[in-house]
Amino acid sequence: MIKDQIRNLKNEAVGEILEAKSLQELEKIRVIFLGRSGKINALTKEIPKLPADERGGIGKLINETKKTIEEVLSQTQNKLTKTDRKTEWIDVTAPGIKPPEGHLHLITEAISEISSIFASLGFRRARYPEVEWDWYAFEGLNMAENHPARDEWETFFIDGLESDKYGKGILTPHTSSGQLREMEKYAPPIRMLNIAKCYRRESGMSHAPMFYQFEGLVVDKNINISHLKGTIDYFTKQYFGPDRKSRIRPFHFQFTEPSFEVDVTCLICGGKARLPNGKVCRTCKEGWMELGGSGMVHPNVLKNGGIDPEKYSGFAFGWGVERVLMMKYGINDIRLLFEGDLRFLKQF
Amino acid sequence: MNIQISDSWLREFLETKATPSQIAEYLSLCSQSVEKLIKDGEETVYDIEITTNRPDCLSVYGIARELSAILPRFEINARLKEIPVAKIPKVKSGFPLQVKISKTELCPRFTALVFDNVIIKPSPLSVRKRLENSGIRALNNVVDISNYLMLELGQPMHTFDYDKILKHKMFLRESKEGEEIITLDGQRRKLKEGIIVIEDGEGRIVDLCGIMGGKNSETDKNTKRVLLFVQTYNPMKIRKACQALGFRTEAASRFEKGLDPEGVIPAMERATLLFKEWCGGKVGNELTDIYPSPPKPKTVIVTKVKIDTIMGINIKLEDAKKFLDNLGFKTKIDAKTNSLTAEVPHWRNGDIEIPEDLIEEIARLYGYHNLPNTLPPISSLNYQKEATFEWEDKIKTALKYWGFTETVSYSMARKDLIHNPADHLKISNPLTEDLLYLRTSLIPSLLEVISKNPTEEGIKIFEMANAYLPRGKKELPLETMTLTLAVKGESKYLEVKGILDALLKELGITKFSIKPEKFPSLNYGAQIFIGETNIGIIGEVVSPELTRFGINQKVTVLDIQLNRLLSFATHAKGYIPLPKYPPIIEDLSFVFPPQTFIGPIIEEIKKINEIIKEVEFIDSYQNTRTFRITYQSQERNLTDSEIKSIRKKIIDFVSAKFRAQVKEAL
Repeated sequence: MIKDQIRNLKNEAVGEILEAKSLQELEKIRVIFLGRSGKINALTKEIPKLPADERGGIGKLINETKKTIEEVLSQTQNKLTKTDRKTEWIDVTAPGIKPPEGHLHLITEAISEISSIFASLGFRRARYPEVEWDWYAFEGLNMAENHPARDEWETFFIDGLESDKYGKGILTPHTSSGQLREMEKYAPPIRMLNIAKCYRRESGMSHAPMFYQFEGLVVDKNINISHLKGTIDYFTKQYFGPDRKSRIRPFHFQFTEPSFEVDVTCLICGGKARLPNGKVCRTCKEGWMELGGSGMVHPNVLKNGGIDPEKYSGFAFGWGVERVLMMKYGINDIRLLFEGDLRFLKQF
Repeated sequence: MNIQISDSWLREFLETKATPSQIAEYLSLCSQSVEKLIKDGEETVYDIEITTNRPDCLSVYGIARELSAILPRFEINARLKEIPVAKIPKVKSGFPLQVKISKTELCPRFTALVFDNVIIKPSPLSVRKRLENSGIRALNNVVDISNYLMLELGQPMHTFDYDKILKHKMFLRESKEGEEIITLDGQRRKLKEGIIVIEDGEGRIVDLCGIMGGKNSETDKNTKRVLLFVQTYNPMKIRKACQALGFRTEAASRFEKGLDPEGVIPAMERATLLFKEWCGGKVGNELTDIYPSPPKPKTVIVTKVKIDTIMGINIKLEDAKKFLDNLGFKTKIDAKTNSLTAEVPHWRNGDIEIPEDLIEEIARLYGYHNLPNTLPPISSLNYQKEATFEWEDKIKTALKYWGFTETVSYSMARKDLIHNPADHLKISNPLTEDLLYLRTSLIPSLLEVISKNPTEEGIKIFEMANAYLPRGKKELPLETMTLTLAVKGESKYLEVKGILDALLKELGITKFSIKPEKFPSLNYGAQIFIGETNIGIIGEVVSPELTRFGINQKVTVLDIQLNRLLSFATHAKGYIPLPKYPPIIEDLSFVFPPQTFIGPIIEEIKKINEIIKEVEFIDSYQNTRTFRITYQSQERNLTDSEIKSIRKKIIDFVSAKFRAQVKEAL
C-alpha cells in the first residue's frame, strides 16, 4: 500500500514539476514535496509505524523517490533559468541611485588642464611666494623704483614689512616674480610653469583684487622668438581647440625685450569680427582676443638671476587663469569665481 | 596710455593709399596697437594704445613716422611729409623776458617766445572737431594751439598771458614745503618740497611745470600778448610731483615718460605758424632757448649672430639695415665683424639702449607674423617633478567624488572675521576694508560661504589655499598650504572623521592618532597626529562663532596643514602574500564606563598579537561596544585553543585598561 502511495507521490511530483512555467512556481512545488513539512517528510514520519522488516526497503524507496524528484526539479530549474525571461518588472527608466556629487572649482579644473598641456612640453610646475619682496616683483625685473612702467601694476603693500636687501613687502601683482626665484633655484635649461595667486588693487567685471596667473619661463641656449610662438600656438590649440589661431604683436614690458602681446582668434565670431547675422562681434577686437603678455627675457633679468645672457636666452609669458577660462566658458564677471555662491559653483 | 587721432589729420603727415582698416591692422601688427576704429561721418578716428617706452608715438606725427616704415612692408607706398612751420624771426628789442633756472637737471631744455597782437577767438571748425575726436575740449584759438600741437607733435606746451607775468621775470625752481598754487582748473593745491614751479618777478608761483599752469597767469578774452612756453622736464621730477599731488594731466603723462629735447624747436616753429594763421599773432621778442647740454648721438651695435639667435631665422644684414634706416636710424654694416652699427634717432634716445632693442626693431618690421612657429627643443631637463601638485590634485579629486564642493575665497579678510588682528599681516593700502588682513586660517572663509548660502541644505565644502603666518617685520611670512573642510548639519563629526580616515588611506598613511582636546572654538574636537607631527584639527564649531556668521545649524570642520601631511604621503604599498589559511572571525562586546574613547581601544587590541589582523567597530548600544575581531595566520590553520588564549588576553587587557566588562563571547 505504502509503496503505491510513494509511486503516486513520485508521479504527481514529476508531473507537476514538468508542468511548471516559472521558477517561482517550481519553488512552490519544491516546498510542497520536499519542504520541511512537505509530502516526502510526511511519508518519512510513517516509517516507524511500519513492520520492522519493511522499514529498510521503504526507507530506501522514499530516498530514491526524493532523489528522483530533486533531479527532475534541478533539471527543470536549469531549463527554466535559461528560457524564463523574468516576469519580474522593474522601471528601468527610474532615476538611478547617484554616488555623492561634488564639484571642483573652475579655476582648479583650468589649472589642471593648463598644467597637463605644458607638462607634455616638459614644463615643471612651480609655485613661489604670494607675499613677495619688491626686488622679485619689480626692481629685479628691470623696473627701478618710480619707473612709470610700474603703473601697470596696481600693487598692495604690506604694512611694516621691509627687507634691507630686497625692499618693501608686497602682494605679488604677477607670477613674473617667480622668474628670478626659479633662476636662483635651477641652472639652465629651465622650463618652468609657475601658477600662483596674484593681487592687484582693482576690481570690476574683468579684474578682481585676487586672481591666478600662469607663467611660463624657458631659458636655454639659442631660445628664440619662434620657440615662443610655437609654444603659444600649441597651448592655444590644445586649450581652446584646433581651429584657433594665435599671433603676437609688439608690446612693452621692462623685463622682456622684445615684448609681445598675445592674441587668439575670437571664440564667438571665429576670428571673422562679424557674427553669422552680420553684426559686428562685440566680444573681440577685429576678430582677436587678447590673451596676455610675453617676451624674450631681458638680459638684465637673466643677469639678476645669475645667468649669463651671452650664453643663454629665454622667453616668458604670463597669462590670467581666470581670463582664459572666462574666454572658454563665456563667463562675463570674474568676481563670480570668488563669491562662494554654491548655485554657481555647483554648475561645474 | 591711449591716444585718439583723426585719419584726416594723420594724412596731413602721411601720403599713402592705405585704407584706415589697413592702417589699423598693420600698425597693430608691427608697432602700436589700434584698439578701435571709430567712424564719425567722413572721419575715422583711431584709438591707439601707446606703450610706456614709446612717448615718440604719442602724436599724430609719431604715428605717421611709424607707418611710413611699416606700410611698405605690406607693399603699400607711404611717404612721411614735412611738418609745415614758420621760421622764427630775429626780433631785436622786443618784449623783455628774464629767465633763471635754479638747477639744469630740472629742465633739459627751456624755450619761450612772446606773440604780440593776438586776437582771441574760436579756432577753425576742423581744428575743434579734431580736438574733440581726441577727447579734448576746444576753448579758444590760443589754448587750442597748445593742445593741438601736443597731439600733433607729442610736445606739450603752455600759454601764459605775458602781461600777467609780473616784472616779466621767470624763475624756475623746486617748490618749498607748504607753498600753494591755484591751478587752471580752479583747485588750490598745497605743494610738497621738490616740485618744479615757476615764480614770477613778484614771487608768485605762476606754473606747476609740466602739469598745469597757474590761474593767476592764464590767457583770457582780453589777452593781447601770449607767452608760449615749450620745455622738456626731468621725467622723474614730474612723476614724483604727480604722485605727491595725487593728480595727473595729459601733459604730465607725456613729460614723465621723457620727451625729446630736439623736438622742442620744430614744435615752437609750428606754433609760430599757427599763431600767425589762427590768431594773427606776431613774434614779439627774441626766442629764449636754454639748452645747456644737448644729448650726444647714441650708437648701438648688434651682431648678425645675435639677431639670428633671437629671431630664430637667418636674416640678411642688408634687410636689417633697411628696416632700421626706414625707422630713422643711421646704420652701417661692418662686414668684418658681421654686425650693424646704428645711430639712434633723437626721438628714440629714451628707449634704444642695448642690442636687443635693435633686434626688436628689426624683428617687428620683418613681421612677427612672418616668423615660424617652432616648439623649443628639449636639450635636457635636470629637475625632479614636484609631487606636491599631484597630491593636491588627488586630494581635491577625491573630495569631489566624496560629495564636496570646492570654494575659492579671497586671501584677505575683514577685521571682524579674524580673531587677533595683531597676529595677521595687514595691507597698508587696501582696496576696501573687507580685504584688509591676510588670513591665517581658512575656517572663517568657509563659514562665510556657508552663511552666504542659507537655503542650501547639507553643505559640504572645502578650500585648499595658503595661510599666511607672519615672521616679523623683516622676513616674508610662512605661507602654509592648508586644506579645510566644512560640513553643515547636526552630528556630522563621524562623517568628517570618515573623510579624514579615507583621505589618509588615499595618501598611503595608515598610522595616525586622534587626540581629543578642548578648543575654545570647538564644542568637541581633536588634534590629528602622524607620529609626533600635529597635522591639524577636527571638531564641531561652537555656537557663538556660528552666530557671528548668522549660521543657525551646526558646522563640523577639518583643518589640515597640507605641507605637513604631504611629507608623509607615499605611493609605496607593501605586498603581503594572499592568505592561504582561512581566518577566524568573532565578535566581542564590552560594557565601558560612559565617555570612553573608542579609537585607542581599537589600536590597543591590534597590538596584542600579530594574528589579530583586523579590529572593526561594528555596533554600539548605550555603553556597550561590539568589535569584530579577525584572526588569521600566514603560516597555519589556527586552532581553537590558540584563539582561546588570545581571546582571553584581549578580554583581560580591555577589562583592565579600560575598566570594561565583557558581555559575551560568541
